[in-house]
Amino acid sequence: MEANNDVALDIIITNVVSVFRTRCHLNLRTIALEGSNVIYKPEVGKVLMKLRKPRITASIWSSGKIICTGATSEEEAKLGARRLARCLQKLGFKVKFTAFKVVNVLAVCTMPFHIHLIQFTKNNRPIASYEPELHPAASYRIKNLKATVQVFSTGSITVTGPNVRHVAMAVEQIYPLLFECKSTMR
Amino acid sequence: MMGSGRKCPDCGSSNVVEDDLYSQPQLVCTDCGSVVSEGQLTTTRSEEVQGTIVRYSQSTAVDKQPCRNQIKGLKRVRALCRILRLPPVIEETSESLFAQAYESTDFLHVSLPKKETLAGCCVLLGCRMQGWPVTMGTVTSLLDTDSCLMGTVYKMVVSTLKLESPHTNIMDLMEGHCREYHLSPPGVPEEFCESADRLASRASALVELASDTWLMTGRHPVPVMVASVYLAWLSLKPSPARLKLSLGRFCQMAKVAVPGPASKRVTELKEVLCRLGQELPWQKGAVVSPQKVAALVGDVLKHRISLLKRAIRSHEDALAMDSVSGTEGLDVANTPSSTLPLSLCTDGVAPICEDLPIGSSPCSEGQPDFHQSQLPTPHAEGCQTAQSVRDSEDVVVTATGSAKNPEVRGEPARGSAEHWGKRHPFVPPCARNPSKKPRLAETGPEVTGDEEISDSEIEGYLRTPLEMREFAETQMKLQSDSY
Repeated sequence: MEANNDVALDIIITNVVSVFRTRCHLNLRTIALEGSNVIYKPEVGKVLMKLRKPRITASIWSSGKIICTGATSEEEAKLGARRLARCLQKLGFKVKFTAFKVVNVLAVCTMPFHIHLIQFTKNNRPIASYEPELHPAASYRIKNLKATVQVFSTGSITVTGPNVRHVAMAVEQIYPLLFECKSTMR
Repeated sequence: MMGSGRKCPDCGSSNVVEDDLYSQPQLVCTDCGSVVSEGQLTTTRSEEVQGTIVRYSQSTAVDKQPCRNQIKGLKRVRALCRILRLPPVIEETSESLFAQAYESTDFLHVSLPKKETLAGCCVLLGCRMQGWPVTMGTVTSLLDTDSCLMGTVYKMVVSTLKLESPHTNIMDLMEGHCREYHLSPPGVPEEFCESADRLASRASALVELASDTWLMTGRHPVPVMVASVYLAWLSLKPSPARLKLSLGRFCQMAKVAVPGPASKRVTELKEVLCRLGQELPWQKGAVVSPQKVAALVGDVLKHRISLLKRAIRSHEDALAMDSVSGTEGLDVANTPSSTLPLSLCTDGVAPICEDLPIGSSPCSEGQPDFHQSQLPTPHAEGCQTAQSVRDSEDVVVTATGSAKNPEVRGEPARGSAEHWGKRHPFVPPCARNPSKKPRLAETGPEVTGDEEISDSEIEGYLRTPLEMREFAETQMKLQSDSY
């Protein structure tokens, strides 16, 4: 990912959350009985199914709504979701793969410098907030991208956004702000 | 009062008038007062026209009363302000903040504990806005709530009221904090007594050192304060009796709670002090052990800025030696540093500089190509404030004035996969010892998301009929056992 001033930063996507609907009612007991790698949670009313190949955990509700977490890219999330739908089809349900959407992407990135959090908060007053008594990181919300960046003093940042493109744009947007407050030894 | 054409049966006068008794129409003789006739007492509401000139709501209208919880909350705010002995300005600010927040839509359908916590959050916000040092922990314990709830409600208040919450200066907190320690004669042996003022000044200096060396940023302030008070107490009279007392015992004696991370902070602070103590000229480079460092703390704090610079320089030299002996063909750009604060202060000019990254700026030549693990940033040299330069540095400075110019490192060897944290002597502790492997992007299979899914891939996720039967039988058995 290229930022403005010729710096190459590694943005590592750690989690992609996606949802899709099967447009049919699912019998959770049947899934729990006939599927392997399945955890049935009757108290919550859902079934957790874990896939191996794209490492994905899916929460399956009886209404047919399914949430998949654990993928490391959007394509992998889609493949995993489709595999899951196919699995449910094999179990005997009339499953349709509809309304697939990537809902949340979590990425981490490490800046090659450490960051003075109080100065960062002062420079970006209303958008950034830092409460050391509550959380060690300063949080910065980018409204137009709907992304949240958590900035740690060691230079690591975690970015959450609605998709990978927004996450990349968020990193590009925040890099110059972080660079201003990079380490100064007093 | 026109008389109706009737004659009074008693006195025979014709002066009979209509004189209603409330809602009962009556004909009364004016001469003798007898009631000639009367109508029905019960009438319908629409027939009753007396007393309807003024509307009911106008006659009994009352100003909108604040609801019970709001009144209770305001009382709680006032009580908190009295307990904390806050000036009237802060009390008024907190009350107005509470009224605003309570009436906003965000706090409309909020649970009762949150409303109770809201009072404390408004007090805290009022204190912060006026610069009065109060920690969140104090307010949380006064309200007797959960700290997570406190944090949530505080953030809600700040976002609802669209205010900026200024940070509490830890130096202001220090004095109040030091007064909590019971270190005076009656309960405590003579050996361990210490005055709050001396303790506060030394602990403040230690906290400043901690913030200089990246031990403060991102950390909860209270454990750092406790750690620095403990180390200050040790160093003010480093007798064997005092040195034997551990942090836990010290806090028990002083009747102060020990926060969880405090012992880690003590270790980190001692490490920093050891490294700085090593740079003291009379130590002659001997390694200082954490057990012995308490005696040197006073000297280290007195000359801390020049010691920091010396430590950075010797770290750089050590790195240079390693890389020269380790790899060949190292392309090291040895550029003498630009205006060094050291030389400036010997001239008597004390700059107040904030950011001074030497040689590197976003637009400098030869942009280093950052890859996650290779970091060439020539770190910034120390900056000083005017006061600290003049204070006591002169002795140490002249002693080291003849030292070689610090060398600023250019691009390091491409092959070194060292974490950038190792290049700097003072970094946040987790960056110095990255125990985890550096995170590499796991290159999963190259997928497009729309590939064909074969049956064999799915078979693994389905149970065979035999497995299903066994599973069902086991479930039945478990259920029957549980009954």
